[in-house]
Amino acid sequence: MKVPLKWLEEFVSVDATVEQIARRLTVAGLEVENLERVRASFSGVVVARVLDVGKHPNADRLSLCQVDAGAAGRFSVVCGAPNVSRGMTAALATVGAKLGDEPELEAAVIRGIRSEGMLCSERELGLSQDHHGILSLPDDAPLGTPVADYLGLDDVVLDIAILANRGDALSILGVARDVAALFGVRLHAPRTRPLRVERHEGDGASSSFAVRMAAPEQCPRYAALKMTGVRVAPSPVWMRRRLELCGMRGLNNVVDATNYVMLEMGQPLHAFDLDRIAANTIVVRRAGSDREFVTLDNARRALEAGDLVIADPEKPLALAGVMGGLNSEVGLSTQTILLESAYFEPIAVAKTARRLGLRSEASYRFERGIDRAGQTAALMRVAELLKRYADARPEGAIADFEPRPAPVREIALDLNRMSALLGVETSAAEAKRRLVSLGASVRRGEARGTLKVIPPSWRSDLDEAADLAEEVARLSGLEEIPATLPARVFSYAPANREREFFRDTREVMLGAGFTEIDTLAFISAADNEKFAGIGHGEPLSVHNPLSEELREMRRSLAPGLLAALIFNLNRQATALHAFEIAKVFARVKGEVVERYHLGALSYGDYALSEIGRPGVKAGFFTLKGVAEAYLRALGVAERVRFKAPAPEHPLAFLHPGRSALILLSEEPIGYVGEFHPQDAMERGLAEQCTLCELDLQKLISYGLSPRPAIEPPPRFPAVRRDLALVLDREFPADMILKTIREIAPALLESVEVFDVYEGEAIAPGRKSVALALRYRATDRTLTDEEVNRTHAGLVEQARTRLGAELRQ
Amino acid sequence: MKEQLEEIRRRALDELTDGASDQQIEAVRVRVLGRSGELTEVMRGMREVPQAERPAIGQLVNQIKRELEERIEALKLRLRQGALERSLAEARLDVTLPGARVPRGRIHPVTQILERMLDIFVSMGFEVAMTRDVEDDFHNFEALNFPPDHPAREMQDTFLVGGGLLLRSHTSNGQIRVMEERKPPLAVVCPGRCYRRDELSVRASPMFTQIEGFMVDRVGRITMGHLKGVLIEFLRAFYGPETGVRFRSSYFPFTEPSAEVDIHCLLCKGAGCRVCKHTGWTEILGCGMIHPNVLRAVKLDPEEFQGFAFGFGVERPALLKLGVDDMRLFFENDLRFLAQFPSLAGGAA
Repeated sequence: MKVPLKWLEEFVSVDATVEQIARRLTVAGLEVENLERVRASFSGVVVARVLDVGKHPNADRLSLCQVDAGAAGRFSVVCGAPNVSRGMTAALATVGAKLGDEPELEAAVIRGIRSEGMLCSERELGLSQDHHGILSLPDDAPLGTPVADYLGLDDVVLDIAILANRGDALSILGVARDVAALFGVRLHAPRTRPLRVERHEGDGASSSFAVRMAAPEQCPRYAALKMTGVRVAPSPVWMRRRLELCGMRGLNNVVDATNYVMLEMGQPLHAFDLDRIAANTIVVRRAGSDREFVTLDNARRALEAGDLVIADPEKPLALAGVMGGLNSEVGLSTQTILLESAYFEPIAVAKTARRLGLRSEASYRFERGIDRAGQTAALMRVAELLKRYADARPEGAIADFEPRPAPVREIALDLNRMSALLGVETSAAEAKRRLVSLGASVRRGEARGTLKVIPPSWRSDLDEAADLAEEVARLSGLEEIPATLPARVFSYAPANREREFFRDTREVMLGAGFTEIDTLAFISAADNEKFAGIGHGEPLSVHNPLSEELREMRRSLAPGLLAALIFNLNRQATALHAFEIAKVFARVKGEVVERYHLGALSYGDYALSEIGRPGVKAGFFTLKGVAEAYLRALGVAERVRFKAPAPEHPLAFLHPGRSALILLSEEPIGYVGEFHPQDAMERGLAEQCTLCELDLQKLISYGLSPRPAIEPPPRFPAVRRDLALVLDREFPADMILKTIREIAPALLESVEVFDVYEGEAIAPGRKSVALALRYRATDRTLTDEEVNRTHAGLVEQARTRLGAELRQ
Repeated sequence: MKEQLEEIRRRALDELTDGASDQQIEAVRVRVLGRSGELTEVMRGMREVPQAERPAIGQLVNQIKRELEERIEALKLRLRQGALERSLAEARLDVTLPGARVPRGRIHPVTQILERMLDIFVSMGFEVAMTRDVEDDFHNFEALNFPPDHPAREMQDTFLVGGGLLLRSHTSNGQIRVMEERKPPLAVVCPGRCYRRDELSVRASPMFTQIEGFMVDRVGRITMGHLKGVLIEFLRAFYGPETGVRFRSSYFPFTEPSAEVDIHCLLCKGAGCRVCKHTGWTEILGCGMIHPNVLRAVKLDPEEFQGFAFGFGVERPALLKLGVDDMRLFFENDLRFLAQFPSLAGGAA
């Protein structure tokens, strides 16, 4: 909402600078976002009267005028305007004047005659594009006064962000009300000569037109006034200037006057050309079977049955509260108008305006809620302006139809309750003073320390005691509420499990050298299809996505990690080791499931060794190692198994032979594997890219399960014996370990794979797996003999059970 | 036999000169002392030696063995010593070359800032609760007293996923979710991801992080004064003890009274600059006393309970704090950006 200071000052005058006013308004909820200083685009132009108009002796189209500019003097001026006439009051640019970007005006000799200035058109003064003739000023304009001052062109415009509940502040008067209440000064509402009002509780007719109220739910009140003898012309300069400062454009004196009153009082008005309304009858109804309508902006609008329209018995005339129609527009030939001033329900207007994408100054105000009782006052005000600037005369009384009167809202305000809410004591007198300053009527309640408050008709947002508390706090200033800390017994609250868990997870990943990234949860349907994640479920798709690329909610973190990789490779990075902890989404049996995942990606050099020695490249085992380290850190490694996916169900985006499912207690919780070479090629990845993803939801509960008992370090040494078994190439290493653990004698402490060999010394299709076995007793140092005996027994069993050969 | 032994000894000692190399020494050791070396061969021939002479020969063998072993040990020590001295004299590293690069991860700046904020709230007695991202209209709007025609409920502002579900447009659903399950007194912060239909740009992102916080207790125990106290405490803990804080009346459907909180512009410290549009203030969060209708929606009697709530985005304060001004930096994951954050706790915050 743009508020020119001079206009505001017509209704309230405070002893404060505009900056102080802006600051106070801002803190009170009318946030002044900008103070714009506006100036006339000219200087040295004064009000002058044309005393005499004579013919220019050397030019037919020019006249020679004598003008009186009061204290500024009398001048002889050559003028080419067709409308210059004797007795006219005009704007005189004197010698030395600056008009826009033109050089300073000098005295000139025009066709042999000296001209001591120039009578200006609106265009020359930068007021409009009108250059048909010179600007005509009112006769009472004081001669010699600078035109900029007279027209009030130097001003400050406050640009105020109006909150959604403050429809009442969408007018100069509304803002002035808050200024008056905040500074404790009187408000001077616009004074108008009252017109007679005829009230109707339902449909009715005045002497010259009738109104049928067929939709009282959407339009509880409709007031109208007929005016005749209208002379449609441009409106006065000062009015157009104000409209312009408020962001509207001048059109003609009728439309401008309605807009002016809307800006001033917040009541949108509409003027119909009454001669174009059938049967002099207005019907306020829903669109029903009407299908379309052409609005003032010459656009064809599709109607829906529920849209509220203003119609005559034959056709719709306006989209109520949104925009008028071309078929009843006021034009140059208009002589009789019907002025509409109504209250339309916010939802009714909002629905139509939004559906049509048609936001007007009027719909904006109706949507936010206008003064429920401001209709007739606005009509009186606009009638006065039209009488003065369009020669219009009211015919008959204002007809005021109100089938559904506004309910009276009386709110009980308990002052103790208010203090308890705000944390500051407010006296009854203070509360009353604040509420009255807003326009509420306030009386003492029956109980001590209570008030009965009827909010003003323009504050539809005030519904209950908390709303009134806010008004009191707002007007007193929130800075008056002392900041204190609550006295509260803090009982122990357990730490949030997820947060703790993510923190631990991050710590492990950080330790492994991985960098955390953050990606959008939206991906394309194609990516979501390809990266189906672990939990399966159907993709969750967004009905109103920003783009096809962001159509679905991810089921896997892999696409985001890959996107981050490509982004960085395109910026000359050569390696990325990244992880993300975030939610994935899916529909499972119709229910939306969201689960936290950990995703990791490894590409390029993982660790660089010293200069001159090769670095470590990331690969399957790098990321598997990280996953193992993480699962060990959680204490669940024992229950986890890595399993090659079944050939018929590979993880489609991973290398079929270099990928594994991760199982926790035999249930899949993730995968690790090399990105499919085909996809890697398509994405231009030069090096191996490895991905890993874990469903954290299951791990969260495991991760917080009690840790196994801690034992002191062993006191006696361990003895190591190695064993090399030759088996089929496909035989999985973890089966060997599992078998050995099953047959393990009590003395076996651990068994590990330390090498795998395939090659010349081994038969084709076979491999040699080297194992390190550690033996230890808790109560003595083992003898060689004891170890040898135990080891030999184990080797024999292992060999038989696994069907392996011993490699010598 | 004795001569033979003496010959072995002499020959070995001749070869074990002071200048003998490692290989030469080892060759002698293997030839003479090895498992099938000369001395072992001699011992094998003992059967042919008369019984009486055997002890003496045995003694001699042991003596030679010991003598040679000592000599070898001494020579080897000398060699090692020599090698050590040579290496001390010759081996010089260019200590200015870079060390081996050990992989080192970073924590995303938004995480760092979010964690720092949560730490402050936890230290002030708040619990942390996380709730759903995919939410229904009731928890995201209706229970929060959004009127049915509120613009935020429109398709152009909120992502809809069908079945009456949407992607939450704020973390305020946490208020409802927690209060549905537990009765006051409550002091809770709900961090999480929110979604709004804004293109990813310098100023906005379709997905962002928010913290919702609220405190509810019996009437009079949690006031607007406490709201101010708690938030000022938090803001000064996060932005610094000197931070200027201002409460400005505002409007949110779910609070009454509502306020917006500004802090002094971090750049000009309140003097006014281009960044704060010459106001000296930066808008940082929204807050207020929980609206009676919100309490009613979770079946709490507003005559009995009251409390405050606040909410704010994390990315924008993060930008302010880091002194950068492009939201996209957080979601592009450019290593050149991420790598600037120390991988130490609280690095960015």
